[in-house]
Amino acid sequence: MKKKIGVYICHCGGNISDYVDVEKVYAEVRNEKGVALAKITMFACADANQKEMEADIPEKDLDGVVVASCSPQLHLTTFRAVVERAGLNKYDYVHANIREQGSWAHSDNKSGATENAIHVVKAAIAKVRNAESLEPIKISSVKAVAVIGAGVSGMRSAIALAKAGCKVYIIERDHFVGGRVAQWENLFSTNETGEEIIKRLYNDTINNDNITLYTGAQVLSQSGNIGSYRLKVQINPGFVRNSVYSYEMDEAISVCPIKIPDLFNFGFTQRKAIYRNHSGQLPIMAVIDDENCTRCGDCEKVCKDIDFSQQKKEINIEVGSVLVASGFDTYTPKNNEFGYCVIDNVITLPQLKRLVAMSDRHLEYKGNRIKNIAYIYCVGSRQLDGENKYCSRYCCTAAIHTATEIRRKYKEINNYHFTRGVRTYGKQEIYYSEALKMGDVFMQSFDNELPEVLQKGNKTFVKIKDILTEQKELKLQADLVVLVTSMVPRDGISVNDLFKLPKGRDGFLKEIHLKLRPVETVIDGITIAGCCQGPMNLTESVNSALSAATKSYSYVSKGELELEPIIAKVDKEACTWCDACFKACPFDAIIKVEEGFKVFARVSDSICKGCGMCLPVCPKDAIELNSYTNREIEEMIDMLASD
Amino acid sequence: MGTLNAKFGKKLAKYGTFDFSACYNCGNCTAVCSLTDQEESFPRNMVRYSVLGLEDEIKSSLKPWLCYYCGDCSAYCPQEAFPGELMMSLRRWLTSRYDWTRLAGLFYRSVIWNIIAFLLIAAGVITYAFHVNFSLEHVMHVGHLFEIVAIAAVFAIILMPNIVRMWWFTIAKSGEKIPVKAYLISLRELFLHMFTQKRTLDCEKHTFRWLEHLILVIGYLTLLFTTVFLDWFSARNKIVIVFGYIVSGLVFIVTFHFVFNRIIKSKEVSRFSHHSDWFFVIWLFFMGITAFVVRLYIDINIIEDNLWLYLVHLIILVQWAVIIVPFGKWTHFLYRSFAMYFKKVLTSANQ
Ligand SMILES: Cc1cc2nc3c(=O)[nH]c(=O)nc-3n(C[C@H](O)[C@H](O)[C@H](O)COP(=O)(O)OP(=O)(O)OC[C@H]3O[C@@H](n4cnc5c(N)ncnc54)[C@H](O)[C@@H]3O)c2cc1C
Ligand code: SF4
Ligand code: SF4
Repeated sequence: MKKKIGVYICHCGGNISDYVDVEKVYAEVRNEKGVALAKITMFACADANQKEMEADIPEKDLDGVVVASCSPQLHLTTFRAVVERAGLNKYDYVHANIREQGSWAHSDNKSGATENAIHVVKAAIAKVRNAESLEPIKISSVKAVAVIGAGVSGMRSAIALAKAGCKVYIIERDHFVGGRVAQWENLFSTNETGEEIIKRLYNDTINNDNITLYTGAQVLSQSGNIGSYRLKVQINPGFVRNSVYSYEMDEAISVCPIKIPDLFNFGFTQRKAIYRNHSGQLPIMAVIDDENCTRCGDCEKVCKDIDFSQQKKEINIEVGSVLVASGFDTYTPKNNEFGYCVIDNVITLPQLKRLVAMSDRHLEYKGNRIKNIAYIYCVGSRQLDGENKYCSRYCCTAAIHTATEIRRKYKEINNYHFTRGVRTYGKQEIYYSEALKMGDVFMQSFDNELPEVLQKGNKTFVKIKDILTEQKELKLQADLVVLVTSMVPRDGISVNDLFKLPKGRDGFLKEIHLKLRPVETVIDGITIAGCCQGPMNLTESVNSALSAATKSYSYVSKGELELEPIIAKVDKEACTWCDACFKACPFDAIIKVEEGFKVFARVSDSICKGCGMCLPVCPKDAIELNSYTNREIEEMIDMLASD
Repeated sequence: MGTLNAKFGKKLAKYGTFDFSACYNCGNCTAVCSLTDQEESFPRNMVRYSVLGLEDEIKSSLKPWLCYYCGDCSAYCPQEAFPGELMMSLRRWLTSRYDWTRLAGLFYRSVIWNIIAFLLIAAGVITYAFHVNFSLEHVMHVGHLFEIVAIAAVFAIILMPNIVRMWWFTIAKSGEKIPVKAYLISLRELFLHMFTQKRTLDCEKHTFRWLEHLILVIGYLTLLFTTVFLDWFSARNKIVIVFGYIVSGLVFIVTFHFVFNRIIKSKEVSRFSHHSDWFFVIWLFFMGITAFVVRLYIDINIIEDNLWLYLVHLIILVQWAVIIVPFGKWTHFLYRSFAMYFKKVLTSANQ
């Protein structure tokens, strides 16, 4: 119980004193119980006043301080620092907001505003009277980070973390690295191929001793919290012994009798049960897809590296932080959305990219030479009626870039773009400009009058009411219709559920604050990078990867973490373990403890967020929240409700 | 409904355009154009049609003729799409569409064909002169006869049918009913624009250019009149002779200035020159200067010994009358005047 409290009441220039009678507040509170010193000041935050407070505290031997001024958002930390400098604990300070919630809110009622201020300051005094000094919770933190996904974002953040001296485990679900980028040939905005970029990242990854790469791996379960996450990882075998590609593996692939649609090529081609995606695929090896292999043994006969004795492995790793870089999926248009699945020559942009990668001299689709290509934009994005309201950002540029690449690669291609307004923002504008100069034709429609794809005989037509040509109806006979599809959240990503990562309305993983805390999640110690957070191009993915790496590194770099001590505490004697709090806690911070015959709840310091959900459900009133104890709150209410 | 055709751009390139596909539809060009109006908005609209390849729509439009190429649009285009040059190229393209012989298109698209035609004509004239033993009297007589016949023939066989075709594409084809009265009351517009080109004045800053053009048109027409109907080269009347000197002098001085501008590319309008532009100004210049010198030689009595000079003049004249007038830039003057006329016809019919 504090006995010598200092109270400072601020004019804030006139921001407060124009409406609140500061003198009256001073007169009302200076004789409150425990108040040893009360002062009025023109600007509490001014250097001079801060110095005065620093002097007052030791001189008057103050043990608690209240400043009645603006919002704590603005100056709580300022005044906490003042009391700390004067030798008090920062929780010995309580902030009373009489500006945003006082003078400004009640500028039409001066006497009311003054009454309000008096009550608020008295409540703050009541709180500080009962305040307890608290020390930050210190926990140890394992200097290792798990990175989920070995796409560009995952590998780039792993390299950054490893270079900073931190141990990194990359857990990649696929047997190969690179994620989506491995599927694309030339990329904007550097004109490198996906293969080149992946090769660079892969070499840096495997040549760094701090990084352990697990492919064909997935997280089965997790426990723990920031500083110490324990992950159980399952590693699926590829049933191939040597990680060097040999002639015999080629043989093995050709003798394998199983054929299934090759998803790497979006179903354009078929692959065997033993396969590799393409010749530049990393790691350079073939793998056997356990799901489709019938164990006929044909491959074993021609290749000595096949090893069916390999088993699933489970390993346990412990890390201080987890960086999720699980990427995105490409949108699959609905049946007959712009003729998809119904009209023969309607494909998606990702499919087109694979088609181009696989076609050398001529661009052909289903045996027809392609000359006129129609690109329909925003398919699965910016939907008026559908779920995806967002713009996928990458697609305008990717479509335009792909179209100009096609022009360069094959002769006599005409590109027709049916857009909803071109969004090649920033430096990507150059591609738009280039496409225009090359003679690509751009049209635009409103979202309520989308282009139509029609089939007449064996010809395909695209129609649009072009708003750039006085809404004139225009028609094109297209050899190929390309739907410029959106990015969508990856389906069924187990890590999201395992870590209870919140998703935004768009279904992508959600950051705490898009601007100010863009790579942190509400789960302490878990950061997100790249397209799992929302549509991004590579530059943006890598930006976020590096920022997430820095953030994750900050959790583990010192081997120790300081956490805010405002958490729940269970009175072990009063608790009877009814498990009500256990069920109420959204963060699983309640642990059941058995000591001899006594069973009770304990709150994990490092998991508890201090949300207070457990307090009201406890029938024995055995739980208290640091800094918001029953006594503090009750006395504050008494003050606020007093006449 | 329009049918898209991106290949049209390649076709147009042969008529002198480039980079118009860079247009991103900002509309600056239309905003700065001093001749566009709400009903007839251009040039963006024409740039757009060209990008989309809407040939039929362009063919039925009079807009390319409504532009007098001040070049402001090109100067203000942020994409350097040169809308002004596109309008110019569309005029060339339209000329080739109106021309039933299809020769206009050939000459626009290829310099080689022009040169071949010029050489053939020169050879023809020289052969003829050889045939009559280079007799000055014969050659000059036939030369004069040729002028009369050529003017009549080019008008009757080529230009008139082409103007009818233009009328068909721009007015009749749409099926709109136009009362005869509209044609009659609008006739004034035809002659007004043909002889004054007064629309040029609406392009700001262009008074001097308009004056030059006016002098050229009047000079050219009177030169034609003096040589053909007053038979300048055989004239004895002092007034006619002096008059001939003045008009031929005017023609070559003004054309010299035009050629000079094209060489130093001083203005937006003279920045790009298609071969048809060069042929037009250079031939006019030669026509003026050779006519001037021929008469001078006649007056100082040395033409007998310098038959070659008259032959050169005749070759230039025939090339001008047989190629440049019916198939080259000369027709623009005619089509433009008719375009103004047709526009007036359409507006008065709609009132
Ligand atoms: C058609 C198309 C063309 C594009 N072209 C360009 C371009 O030219 N230039 C450009 O800058 N950008 C381009 N992009 C964007 C680019 O593809 C993305 O920015 C990039 O792929 C994002 O990388 P990522 O690592 O975040 O995600 P991804 O590439 O999706 O990688 C995610 C990785 O995580 C793995 N993973 C997922 N879930 C789990 C799990 N539970 N456990 C373990 N591993 C998991 C996946 O297997 C994958 O390897 C294009 C996109 C598309 C669709
Ligand atoms: S980037 Fe372009 S194509 Fe993609 S959703 Fe946005 S506007 Fe549509
Ligand atoms: S100013 Fe240039 S870019 Fe703008 S509309 Fe005209 S031609 Fe197009």
